[in-house]
Amino acid sequence: MTTSADMTPTDSALPPPRSQTGVRGWVRENLFGSPLDSALTLVVGAVLVAAAWFGLGWVFFDADWRVISTIGGRFVIGNYNSDQVCPGNDCFWRPQASLLMVSALLGMAWGVAGAGVVRRIAILIAVVAALFAFLPYDFERMGMDVRLLLLANPVMLVAGWAIARYTRLGTPKWVAILSVVAFFLTLLLLLGLPGVPGLQPVDVRNWGGLTLNLVLAVSGIVLSLPVGVALALGRRSHLPVLKAVCVVFIEVFRGVPLITLLFMSQHLVPLAFPETFPRNSLLNAGIVITLFSSAYMAENVRGGLQALNPGQIEAARALGLPAWQTTLFITLPQAIRNVIPAIVGQFIGLFKDTSLVYIIGMLDIVEVGKTFVVGNTEYQQDAQEMFVFVALVFWVFTYGMSYVSRKVERHLGVGER
Amino acid sequence: MSTINRILTYEDIPVWRHARIIRWALQIISAIFVVALVAWFFTNMGSAIAERDIPFGFGFLSREYQTPIGDHFIPYESSDAFGYALGVGITNTLIVSVLGVILATLIGIVVGVARLSSNWIVNKIALAYVEFFRNVPVLVQLLFWFYIVLALPQVREGYVIADRLYLNNAGVSFPGPNVPGSLLVPLAWIVVTVAGVIAGIAAHRMLTRRETVTGRASYPLTAGCAVAIVVSGIAWMILSAVAGDAPFVMASPEPQGRFGRIAGGITVRAGVLVLLIGLVIYTSAFIGEIVRAGIQSVGRGQIEAGRALGLSPMAALRHVTFPQALRVIVPPLISQFLNLTKNSSLGGAVGYSELTNIGITMTQTAPAISIFMLIMVAYLAMSLAYSLVGNLYNRHISFERS
Amino acid sequence: MVTTPEEREEVEDIIICRDVHKWYGDFHVLRGITTTIKKREVVVVFGPSGSGKSTFIRTINRLEEHQRGDIVVDGIELTDDVRNIDAIRRDVGMVFQSFNLFPHLSVMSNITLAPIKVRHMPSDEAEDVAMSLLERVGIPEQADKYPSELSGGQQQRVAIARALAMRPNIMLFDEPTSALDPEMIKEVLDVMQELATSGMTMVVVSHEMGFAREVSDRMMMFDEGLIVEEGPPEQIFEDPQSDRTKLFLSQIL
Repeated sequence: MTTSADMTPTDSALPPPRSQTGVRGWVRENLFGSPLDSALTLVVGAVLVAAAWFGLGWVFFDADWRVISTIGGRFVIGNYNSDQVCPGNDCFWRPQASLLMVSALLGMAWGVAGAGVVRRIAILIAVVAALFAFLPYDFERMGMDVRLLLLANPVMLVAGWAIARYTRLGTPKWVAILSVVAFFLTLLLLLGLPGVPGLQPVDVRNWGGLTLNLVLAVSGIVLSLPVGVALALGRRSHLPVLKAVCVVFIEVFRGVPLITLLFMSQHLVPLAFPETFPRNSLLNAGIVITLFSSAYMAENVRGGLQALNPGQIEAARALGLPAWQTTLFITLPQAIRNVIPAIVGQFIGLFKDTSLVYIIGMLDIVEVGKTFVVGNTEYQQDAQEMFVFVALVFWVFTYGMSYVSRKVERHLGVGER
Repeated sequence: MSTINRILTYEDIPVWRHARIIRWALQIISAIFVVALVAWFFTNMGSAIAERDIPFGFGFLSREYQTPIGDHFIPYESSDAFGYALGVGITNTLIVSVLGVILATLIGIVVGVARLSSNWIVNKIALAYVEFFRNVPVLVQLLFWFYIVLALPQVREGYVIADRLYLNNAGVSFPGPNVPGSLLVPLAWIVVTVAGVIAGIAAHRMLTRRETVTGRASYPLTAGCAVAIVVSGIAWMILSAVAGDAPFVMASPEPQGRFGRIAGGITVRAGVLVLLIGLVIYTSAFIGEIVRAGIQSVGRGQIEAGRALGLSPMAALRHVTFPQALRVIVPPLISQFLNLTKNSSLGGAVGYSELTNIGITMTQTAPAISIFMLIMVAYLAMSLAYSLVGNLYNRHISFERS
Repeated sequence: MVTTPEEREEVEDIIICRDVHKWYGDFHVLRGITTTIKKREVVVVFGPSGSGKSTFIRTINRLEEHQRGDIVVDGIELTDDVRNIDAIRRDVGMVFQSFNLFPHLSVMSNITLAPIKVRHMPSDEAEDVAMSLLERVGIPEQADKYPSELSGGQQQRVAIARALAMRPNIMLFDEPTSALDPEMIKEVLDVMQELATSGMTMVVVSHEMGFAREVSDRMMMFDEGLIVEEGPPEQIFEDPQSDRTKLFLSQIL
């Protein structure tokens, strides 16, 4: 193999004309390619400059961002740590402990995946979490314990990485299993255990803020995977009754707005189960969000199953695998792997949709901000600032997720294997 | 060799090992299981309704609703029945979603084409638009716009632009057609005009066919437009003469009375305005991506082949790129239309009385379960209508192919 | 492969087909196939496309259901009895035109899946078996790769190893080399030839006439759902009886 340095330049290999290289070439090519392009550039550029002028002016001079710092931790957990819910205000460590588990899992994922986007994101999240420890609140408002727990995130990240690297837990399978364990531990931590000191039960009505959005979205997507797979298999089955029921279920839940379903969950979910069944708004919302998400999951998985080469099933049958094993070991793993990008997209959609729980009186991050702005006259004119902040929080999460998914997809070559 | 003299039979295979019988048994068992599950839910529901005195039934539909509805495009009084009020809600949802679909498609096409622009600034702005607006919950966007409109001055101190455009926290008003007399006159005119347009399209088709068959210029577009314009013009004149009033007159908004209430022209009330802005921006970001992907799915080779055949750039776009891109664009586009319609259920959060919002308000005075069922049916009917249009279009495309 | 008369008397009829019919809707694909294949025999099935040759070998392990007639494989009659179907599938290995390796599993897992799940073999033992089979097909170094990382020829050899891992008595090959680039055909045919020499009963749908002439004991010409002609390769090539066989051979040779 020869590099370009070894090759003798021939007469035909002249350098390109000046006009096509450098900054001037780039500007000419990309901004002033034709008269129409030039006009477009000038007009759009002028609008952009004006927008930036007013936008930046608002951001730096007109806007009053104190509303964000006043709401502060309530954006994260709503009223979870308030005096009424948690006397002594020492419940904040519970969501923080969940975050530490996430950091450890991210560390393990980094240890398993090696360098690349996973490492970058894992470090970014842990470092940003740690940086929150340095928020300029006084210690009355944000205690040393809170700050130390935040600072522990990078430590957990490294610990997770080390575990993945130096123990037998460093496989994707174990990361997945531990993620599910961490998920249920998080629910347990947030719910609390009666009689255990430091874990006094917290009524789910008081769950709130971004934690609520994340808990609902993650539970929704995790629980909707098995239900969605079952629905997809049912819709593809040759059994007419089963198929019809699945089709009706899927189409109803996809055809009706989530907010309508959520509102009615308060009336319908308690009716559908016997009276002994535990009932609360979070559970109702969780059930409806899971079923809603399952309908979309079913269609995604069905797409994956349909795209599968029928030869795969034949090969499995020819090897003597019975139908259920063929589905379990051959078709489903491939179908799900092929629709991972769609599932990530669905998760992003679901995360955005969790903002609709305001309809049943739950204080998610949006509703925390909105009730605060509406309820405090001195902050009423700061609604824009608050919504811009909430929009940015959502954007960071959703864009971050789609960015990681795109990178990982490219790295793994999903669909090729 | 005895085995092969036998014809395949069912008798000597044990029932539990017979492939066909197993298949049937599975069928029946799963059906029983599913039916039992569904029945369990419904009996729970039935007994709950009976035991806990939960109201159920549809008798309320003819009762008076006795609640004002903020926005209504068809006449509504508080004394109207529940059933009619639900109809108002459906109309409100339909009007916002149809307007939203049209606007979101137009803006989405612009965004999608801008995403493919070779102009760096235009391209990046479109990218930022798409990546920002589709990644923020539509509710947050709606509330953001809602509080901006809320922060506008009141009607009396509102902005007036060029004496024609009124902007205040009640909405926006601008010049437009008004109905001077009875509502029936413009309705009749619209019906006749639609008929005229259909006739025009028929004429266009007929003449196009003649042009392709005979090769003689037949001016199909001119003739088609002429048919439509003449029909609607004649209808206008006859209706004006008979009714004494033209179907529409152009009017400008004018503040009236002590409170400066604005009358005349077209007023888009704040709720509709916010809901439309929010839904259109959110959905157009998705549509932009769909359009971009659709156009990109048609390989460069196709355009080059068209150009090589001597088609002009526009003709290549019209006859080669678009038909192929549309095939990719339409299915996801339809599902975005559906999403927009469903997202219009957030109207309640910004003070617009659409179907879900009216339904939720109704549950205070009428059985919630019955209302929920009706609302569900209404949304399902709308989504079915969209899928139907999508399927018809798909079939139309596949006819073209064959 | 040449068998002595003494051996031939000992071998039993491992595949027996009598008047096998199959329809796809109205289309009569198999119109009465009657033939018997003996143990250790290598049969090459050829014929124009759409002649039913692929359908025929797919009925042998019930990938396609026949609607009339009898099929007895290794003494087991192919009926609606799931036990018989399972037994036959365990006894008959199949290699496909498009390989059909499981893309989400490594080469090793592709081979060990069925022995572990169906034959309940301990995984250590299954991996030993898989490794020895990979050595037999000449690619032991690829064990930990994924199918997409292999060439077509290597994939097909893995597919053969996968089928052999179930220790079948019969191997079916459905156009095993048609999807391969020319330079890879030989590596697959070599493996098949080695398999034939080792005494495996093989039914091969293929147009590789070199392989047929050298390796097969018998050739079957299919056309329009019927066996038009069958016989040892020398007879088929030197002295075909049927006009259709003559025509077909003249077209492909």
